[in-house]
Amino acid sequence: MKKNLLVILLLFFTFWSCQTDKNDGETQQYLRWVGDITYNEQTDTSDFRVCNGDDNVLQYFNLGEGPVYTDEKATILRTFKEQYKALPNNKENGLIRIRFIVNCKGKAGRFRVLQSDYQYQQKEFDSEIVSQLLNTTQAIEQWKILYRNDIPVDYYMYLIFKISDGQLTEMLP
Amino acid sequence: MKYLTLVLILFSVSTVMAQPNCEAFKYYGDTEKYEACKKAMEIKGHYQFSKAYQTILDEAITIDPTYDYPYWAKSIAYLKSGDFVTWKKLIDKAVELNPIGHLGYRGWCRYQFFRDYRGAINDIEQLDSLVDYDIGHSQNGTYHLNIAKGLCYKAIGEKQKAIKIIADQIKRNKEGNFVGAYDYLHLGVLYFETENFEKAIEMFTKQAETNDLAENHYYLALTYRKLDRLTEFKSSLETAKERYVGGRRMSDPYSNPMDKIYLEDIENALTLANMN
Repeated sequence: MKKNLLVILLLFFTFWSCQTDKNDGETQQYLRWVGDITYNEQTDTSDFRVCNGDDNVLQYFNLGEGPVYTDEKATILRTFKEQYKALPNNKENGLIRIRFIVNCKGKAGRFRVLQSDYQYQQKEFDSEIVSQLLNTTQAIEQWKILYRNDIPVDYYMYLIFKISDGQLTEMLP
Repeated sequence: MKYLTLVLILFSVSTVMAQPNCEAFKYYGDTEKYEACKKAMEIKGHYQFSKAYQTILDEAITIDPTYDYPYWAKSIAYLKSGDFVTWKKLIDKAVELNPIGHLGYRGWCRYQFFRDYRGAINDIEQLDSLVDYDIGHSQNGTYHLNIAKGLCYKAIGEKQKAIKIIADQIKRNKEGNFVGAYDYLHLGVLYFETENFEKAIEMFTKQAETNDLAENHYYLALTYRKLDRLTEFKSSLETAKERYVGGRRMSDPYSNPMDKIYLEDIENALTLANMN
C-alpha cells in the first residue's frame, strides 16, 4: 500500500515538474489571453477593481492611440529620472518590465515585474533597483482613461526600463 | 460592440507576414510540414493573444518541431505584451530554423520594442550577408531596414556612419520611387546634431514636402536658432505647435519613435524665443 502511494506521488511530482518547467511560451496552460494577470490576494491590494470584468481587459494598443499617459511621456520619464537613485558600485545591465492593469477610472493595479539581462535571459536585479521603479510606478495616481464606443475600458499597460551600468537610461514604450 | 471586436481582431491578425503556402510543402513531399502548416492556418480569425491561437500553434509545433512559422506566430503576442524573455526564446527558434525569413523581423523588433540597438544591427547585418537582394522593410513598413540600422548606429554614438547609411538608402529609395515616412527628418536631425546646418535645413524642407510634421518644423527652428535667425526660429516653432495640436506628428501604435517631440519641448523653446 505504502509502495503504491509512493509510486503515485512520484508520478504526480514528475508530471507537475514537467508542467512548471515548460513555462517557455511553447507548451503551457494558457489563460484567456497571453499575459493576463489574475488577482493574487497575497500580493494585490483589494481596493483595486477592474470595471468590466477580467475577461474584458484590453491591451493599450487595441484602442489605436499608441502608448498613452495622462501627461505626455516626457513628463513621466522626467519623474522616473528624478526619483531613480543609482546604487553605489552597482553596474548591472538589462531590462525591467512593470506590467499592470489600468481600470476605467485611470487607476492602476495588479503590478507584475519581469527582469532580464541584455541577452534576454531572466535575472534578478538588486531588489533596491526594482523597488525604486515599482514604487514610482505605483505612485502615479492617474493614467489615461481609454474609451471604446464612449465607454471607459480596462486595459493592460507596461513600462520597460533599460538599466545600463546601474543607471536608468531609457523607458519604453 | 461586436463589430469593433472584429476590427480589433482583424487589425491584430493583419500584421502577420504573408501566409505560408502549405501546398508547396506537399508538392516537395514534406508531409510533416504540410500537416503542420495546415494546422497552423487554423489560427485564422483568432486573436494573437488568445488561448485558441496559441494552442493551435502548439499543435502545429508538435506535428513538426522544425517548422519555423508557428514559433514566429506565437512570439507576436509576447512581443506586444512586453514579455521579452518568452518572445526571445520563440523568435530565436524561428530564426534558427529560417534565418533569412526572420532575421530582419527580429532585428526590427529588437529596435522598435526594446531599443536593443546592437542586437538589431547584428541581425540586419547578418541578414544582409546572407542574401544578394534587397533586405526589405520593417514589419510595419515605416522604414527600410537599412534606415532602422542607421538609427541604431546613431543611438550607439556612430553618427557619421548613421548619416552615410541613411543618405545612401534614401538615394536608393528614390530610385525605386519610395519615400520613407520619416527618413528625411531623421537625416536632418543627424545633420543638425553634427552641426551641418545647411544640409539639415535641406532635409527638413524635404520632409515638409513629403510628410509635413511638427517635428520637422521644431528641429528646423532649432537649426535657425543655431544660425542666429531668430525670427525664423520663432515662426517655425509656431508652425510646429500648430502641426502638433492638429495631430500632425510622429506616431507608432506600439512605441514612441526616435526623434519624436512633445508639446512641452515646443512650448519650452517658444518661451526662449519670446525672451529674445
